[in-house]
Amino acid sequence: MNPPGSLGVLEEKEEEHLSTPILGPSIHSDNPQKRIQARRLRIAARPEGRRREVLGEYLDGKKESEEDRSKSYRQKEESRLKLAKLLLCGTELVTNIQVATDIREIHRRVEEEEIKRQRLEKLESEVKTSQDKFDEITAKWEEGKQKRIPQDLWDMLNTQQVHCAGLIEDKNKLIGELQQELKTKDDQYVKDLKKQSDDICLLLERMEEQVKNVMKTFRQELNYIEKAFEVERQELLTSTKKKWERALQAHSAKELEYLMNRIKKVEGYEKQLNKQRIWDWEDYNMIKIRLEQDVQVLEQQLQQMKATYQLNQEKLEYNCQVLKKRDEESTVIKSQQKRKINRLHDTLNNLRSKYAQQIKQFQEENQSLTSDYKRLVMQFKELQKAMRHFAVVDDKQFREIWLMNEEEAKDLMSRALDVDRIIHTHHLGLPWTAPEFWFLRNVGPLSQQPQKSATQILEEVLMQAEEEGMEETASEAESYLDLPKQISAKTTRKILMLLCDESGFLIESKLLSLLLPLEKNECYLLRLDAIFSALGIESEDDLYKLVNFFLKYRIYHSPSSQEQTSPMSALEPGEQTDLEGQEEESLVEGKPEEKEALPSPRLIHPNDVLKILEAFVMGLKKPRNSRAPVKLKYVQDNSKDSEYWEALTTVIPDTTQSLWDALYTGLEKYHLLLTQRAKLLVENSSLEQQNTELQMLLQQYLDSKINSELQVPPTQVFRVPTK
Amino acid sequence: MQETLATSTLSVPSRSSISTQDKFSTAGQTSSTGPRPPRHSIVPPPSKSKGWNSGTKFHQMRRTIAEDTEWSLAIVPLLTELCIQHIVKNFQNNPLLKQLLPAHQQKVLNLLSPDLPLAVTANLIDDENYWRRCCTQRWPVCHVAKHGGSWKRLFFERHLENLIKHFIPGTTDPAVILDLLPLCSNYVRRLRVDQFLPPVQLPPPPGELSDSGSDVELEEPATDHYQLRDLVAGLSHLEELDLVYGVKDCGMNFEWNLFLFTYRDCHSLAATIKACHTLKIFRLTRSKVDDDKARILIRSLLDHPALEELDLSHNLIGDRGARAAAKLLSHSHLRVLDLANNQVRAPGAQSLAHALAHNTNLTSLNLRLNCIEDEGGQALAHALQTNRCLTTLHLGGNDLSEPTATLLAQVLAVNTTLTSINLSCNHIGLDGGKQLLEGMSDNKTLLEFDLRLSDVAQESEYLIGQALCANREAARQRALNPSHFMSPVMAKGPENPAG
Repeated sequence: MNPPGSLGVLEEKEEEHLSTPILGPSIHSDNPQKRIQARRLRIAARPEGRRREVLGEYLDGKKESEEDRSKSYRQKEESRLKLAKLLLCGTELVTNIQVATDIREIHRRVEEEEIKRQRLEKLESEVKTSQDKFDEITAKWEEGKQKRIPQDLWDMLNTQQVHCAGLIEDKNKLIGELQQELKTKDDQYVKDLKKQSDDICLLLERMEEQVKNVMKTFRQELNYIEKAFEVERQELLTSTKKKWERALQAHSAKELEYLMNRIKKVEGYEKQLNKQRIWDWEDYNMIKIRLEQDVQVLEQQLQQMKATYQLNQEKLEYNCQVLKKRDEESTVIKSQQKRKINRLHDTLNNLRSKYAQQIKQFQEENQSLTSDYKRLVMQFKELQKAMRHFAVVDDKQFREIWLMNEEEAKDLMSRALDVDRIIHTHHLGLPWTAPEFWFLRNVGPLSQQPQKSATQILEEVLMQAEEEGMEETASEAESYLDLPKQISAKTTRKILMLLCDESGFLIESKLLSLLLPLEKNECYLLRLDAIFSALGIESEDDLYKLVNFFLKYRIYHSPSSQEQTSPMSALEPGEQTDLEGQEEESLVEGKPEEKEALPSPRLIHPNDVLKILEAFVMGLKKPRNSRAPVKLKYVQDNSKDSEYWEALTTVIPDTTQSLWDALYTGLEKYHLLLTQRAKLLVENSSLEQQNTELQMLLQQYLDSKINSELQVPPTQVFRVPTK
Repeated sequence: MQETLATSTLSVPSRSSISTQDKFSTAGQTSSTGPRPPRHSIVPPPSKSKGWNSGTKFHQMRRTIAEDTEWSLAIVPLLTELCIQHIVKNFQNNPLLKQLLPAHQQKVLNLLSPDLPLAVTANLIDDENYWRRCCTQRWPVCHVAKHGGSWKRLFFERHLENLIKHFIPGTTDPAVILDLLPLCSNYVRRLRVDQFLPPVQLPPPPGELSDSGSDVELEEPATDHYQLRDLVAGLSHLEELDLVYGVKDCGMNFEWNLFLFTYRDCHSLAATIKACHTLKIFRLTRSKVDDDKARILIRSLLDHPALEELDLSHNLIGDRGARAAAKLLSHSHLRVLDLANNQVRAPGAQSLAHALAHNTNLTSLNLRLNCIEDEGGQALAHALQTNRCLTTLHLGGNDLSEPTATLLAQVLAVNTTLTSINLSCNHIGLDGGKQLLEGMSDNKTLLEFDLRLSDVAQESEYLIGQALCANREAARQRALNPSHFMSPVMAKGPENPAG
């Protein structure tokens, strides 16, 4: 099935190939662009053709196979459905019996229940009636006992008998009925059994029938399916056979054609070969003759060449001899030169070795020296470290001692002052005022007052400027005692703002983004902080230095812009010599008028800020390197300390001291007087005591019994002072 | 030839020479007599005198041997064959089988008689062919497929069943069965006993018994049947127990006490099945099991490790028994529960439904020919809304009507596990049929739905049938297995004769 399809496609392809060059641009056209286009088209057409081929084949195959399959498949499906239906119907037919029996059973049960109920009712009613009758009979027995007349009794007995017989008959009837029922039930049972056996027979029959049916149909369907398959196979066989025959015929025809072509070609080639042979023969002869002639000519030439060769040989021999001689000479010279070279080489080697030795020596020296140097540096560093450590320790100790002493002194002072106060208030009755001294409030060594950091100052400056922007002149003197007077807060602020605006590059971008939401002043503050940390400005002094530097720069710079470098050079040595920044003071002091004249840093061009900063940083670097100022500070401060301590002694002035002396003498006198008085008081008291004792004695004597015995009692002699 | 000549001339021949001579002589005889039955050659009549007498004709005989085309060495039996024959002959006294080569074993097995005592053969012979011969000799019809395809198993199972069937308590010696136990314990997997004989009562003549049914009940201990306990305890592979306490083919000797399942039987059976941990299928049908007995049995089955199928059909179980069965559902791995043809009513069905609602094991529930009515049917339908396991439900002949059908229709729309429902012989009614049809339209899994004789309109029944066909096709497509399509029909087969 596939070959025709593919053949068709091939043909189509060929057609396409044929058609494309005609329609589109030709490969063999004169225009190169057209040719390129044509090639491109051809390349594009190739995969398309291939795809179409595959697709077509696939489609054909699918369609045909579907058709082929559908017959058997349909047959199979049909058979399957039919069989399924058959099976289902058969099962239903078989199970129908069961279902029918079931429903019959249900009906029977219902009926049975009904009959049972009726029977029970009947029995109950019967029991009731018979009981009644029995009761009647028993009642009559009682009656009979009272009867005396035998006739009556006999009658009654007869009636009783009749009644009893009736009762028994009733019962027998019932029994008979029940037995009848039982019999019918038995019959029913037998019938049921028969019915059931019939059912089972039917069931078996149906099952057998179904089995047969199913077998038959299965076989039939199988036959059908087989037939379908066979038919399909036959068709397939015939179709393929046809195809095969067709292909074979085509093949043989083509082969015949090829054979004929081949024979024709062979004949043509034979003719051509003969012709060629004749032509070649003639050609060969011609060439032979010509070549022979050539040989003769060449022989002649050979002779001539031989003669010239002889001549040349002789010439060359002579030349050779001459050259040999020369060669000998040159060898002699060469050996001489070689010897000379050897000698020079030796000297060179000697020199080299010497050079190497020297290099080594110097290197060793250098190494030892560098190690020495390193050791020294290390020692120096350690020393510096120790020194720093000691300085700190000293500082601390100094501070402690100072504090201790100060405390002691303060204590003493306060005591003295207390005494003074007591004296004034108690003894002299004068009002006392506490003396005010600057040293009283001082705590800690004078020289170690903490320096303000640059940022603190900054903050102050900014805050101040903001608050008292209007009344700067008034506050200036108060708030900036520390500031050099010449620099106003406003100027400082402006300079700082300028710096802040101009040197944003010193701030990290992250910080900038964080600063955005902040207030303007805080923003400035933080920015300046960052800038200062970048510039290395740490202390208050540094800040002032910066401000001053700006102003100075401005001053130097303003007169002539071309002297840009001169202030820098002038500044650097100045700073180097004077590390304490006195220089700047002198400079500032030197030019106060100028600054006043140019009070606003607004005149500093923003573009110059960077240059100024650069110069400042260069200048600042150098003082940082040395640690000298620390030492100098101590020396200078000692005088202040002594002043302080001396001042402490004069807490009580001389006038008060003299007052105290006078008071002292007065008080001593007073004391003496008081002691005398005390002595007198003691004497007085002892005398009083003696007096009382004596009075007591006298009283005793007067009260004694002897007095009454006496004729003249002494009591009457003198009047006793009674109480 | 020289030797033969020598023997003929020598007056004192050696023994070996005689034997060879015998051979030749017999051979010669056969050839000389022409077409003779080969049986003679197997048992040759060696006679010296004949050899001596016929010694003079040797030349003649030898020539005829070559010409005899029928003569061959095969006629002479090989020693191995002789040995095998001997082994077969003396197999009862000296069973030699395992020591032989496989080919020889086969020969021996082919020749062994099926009448050999089981004590010899039971544990020695595994060959299916031998046991097939045994079976076909004893029973004309053998369904080997019902015994797991094993002839040996079939033989032992049927043998044992026969013994139990014909065991008469009190007269038959229990040793008859118990002696067999060590021989068959490895092969018996199923016991299917459809007859238990009652003990023979010698004194009462049949007339006396027939009119006094109550007297028999009083003498209950006397009517106990064979106790399975010892036997089942010995059967280590027992998986299926199928019992009917009744008598077959009693004919006109019918007496009610032939069909009694006494309390002692019941207790003993309960203890038996409780002790048997391998039991998978337990069937006790047509045995007049009432509520109390069912409860005793089911109590012993609670938490049984292997039980998968319980069949108590055709008994007298009522609601209490059904409640016990419901309890069993939640205390075991039961897959199939058959309570067909009992007396279960609405309360019993409700308790079953309650157990079913949360059960994850039960796949088949059969309540055919009970009387659960609408209340029970509704309860079951409610349970099916949550159940995700049950595949087969048989509610035929249960006096169900429209309300149940309504609920079932709702279940059908939701449930995806049910494959078979039987509602035949109910009073579903026309409206109920319509509702079921609606429910079916949403269901894609149900394969069987029996609505015969349930007052459903022909049209809706036909349409439901169409839907079922579609479902079956879908299931077939899903499974891609044509046998799946037929399996429900096959499963239904054995049930039909019983009904």
